[in-house]
Amino acid sequence: MADERGFEPTPDPMSGEPEAAQRFDRYLDSLIAGGRPSPDDIGDRDEAEMARLAAEISAAADPDGGAPDPAFVDQLRLRMRAADDGIAAVRVPPPVRPGLGGISRVRISRRQLLAGSVIGAAGIAAGGLAASVLRPPDGQPRDPIWDDGSDLISGAGEWVEVATMADLPPGGAVRFSTTAFDGFVVNDGGEIRALSSVCTHMGCTLRFRQGWQDLRCPCHGASFDLKGQLANSRDRWREQGGYADDERAYPIELPDLIRPAVRVAEGRVLVWTAAST
Amino acid sequence: MADPDARPADQRGRFEEIYDEQVVAIYRFVHARVGNRPDAEDLTAQVFMRAIEQLDTSRDRGQIVSWLYRVSQNAIADYWRAFYRLPVIGTEQVAPGWEPMEPAPARERPGEDSAAVARVRRLLAQLPDRYARVLELRFLQRLSVAETAERMGISHGNAKILQYRALRKAALLGDDHG
Repeated sequence: MADERGFEPTPDPMSGEPEAAQRFDRYLDSLIAGGRPSPDDIGDRDEAEMARLAAEISAAADPDGGAPDPAFVDQLRLRMRAADDGIAAVRVPPPVRPGLGGISRVRISRRQLLAGSVIGAAGIAAGGLAASVLRPPDGQPRDPIWDDGSDLISGAGEWVEVATMADLPPGGAVRFSTTAFDGFVVNDGGEIRALSSVCTHMGCTLRFRQGWQDLRCPCHGASFDLKGQLANSRDRWREQGGYADDERAYPIELPDLIRPAVRVAEGRVLVWTAAST
Repeated sequence: MADPDARPADQRGRFEEIYDEQVVAIYRFVHARVGNRPDAEDLTAQVFMRAIEQLDTSRDRGQIVSWLYRVSQNAIADYWRAFYRLPVIGTEQVAPGWEPMEPAPARERPGEDSAAVARVRRLLAQLPDRYARVLELRFLQRLSVAETAERMGISHGNAKILQYRALRKAALLGDDHG
């Protein structure tokens, strides 16, 4: 190896893998050309780190100083107007639990209304926003967040306190059990969610694995991510080149975990559960 | 159940106001971290489309802005996670410094572009000269490997290797991503 230029004598990791190196070169060239590089050209985590570095450096050299194309800005404004037209406001009934209530509005898209459920997106919004809206600037308690699911709310049910925010640092989870429902509340990078602890395969009880940030089924090894979706499916296995320290992908698709509405009020985490009769 | 009249008439106006005020800053924030226009446009669109469904525009300005940055940061983290051929694990393990829940540092908000440029400068300054030089030629001046090799007076193959090593070294140093 030509060492007079100061290269270390260690063999370059790339040199053994001409194909991988070519792929990565293609990634860099496409980045420099200003195109959309393909994730398929990234082989491993090392390359991903290098790619991110290269992306950040070349962003700093953007000919437009990183400013958006005005045509894009106009087009996105139009898309948003169209989407906004599909958003309706609905009223939800007051909660069963006294002292937290009041009628307020939630914004629900028509698509979600048609689909009959807004639990998913609204749950994220409620969890994600909670921390920032708990202490309104005027110091007065604000109406609770009602970005919650129409399905569950229209039936009889109640808000049950299952944890406090102090129990739920980022990356943490708390197991809870109400008369009607068993599950976890999780803090997924600041977003609070409630997830059923029942595996959607054969109903075994899931366990939270802190290190992998998943809910794992002890029976057949299904792993659900903190959004409640199967994390070690074959598709995601292919996408990510594996899952945790598993030897193989989970062989079948499974429905998402049930996600009850959740909200945070004054540091308390409440989950909406159906009333047990 | 749907009650269209319940929606304040000025909601749309308010939303567009937020959009017009924030779209350039959000785009810059995203672009500085994904490095290409098509992906920056997609992620920016994703952030605002999510905002239109989930953001309560009656919140005060500071809360809205930090919501937008938090959602952007999550979108960027998801974007890079898709590149890692690795299991999705705790974010601190996937990418140090990419804690999506942290609000965007205040310095990134106004004049985001210059903050990004400054960050890259700082990074290059920490590298050995030859490493900084090859990264500058390749990614700031956007020269081909062949042109870079010529400028540096080294062979094509060596320019490539130098570029990999420089990127790898910079990736190890790059602990102030935000």
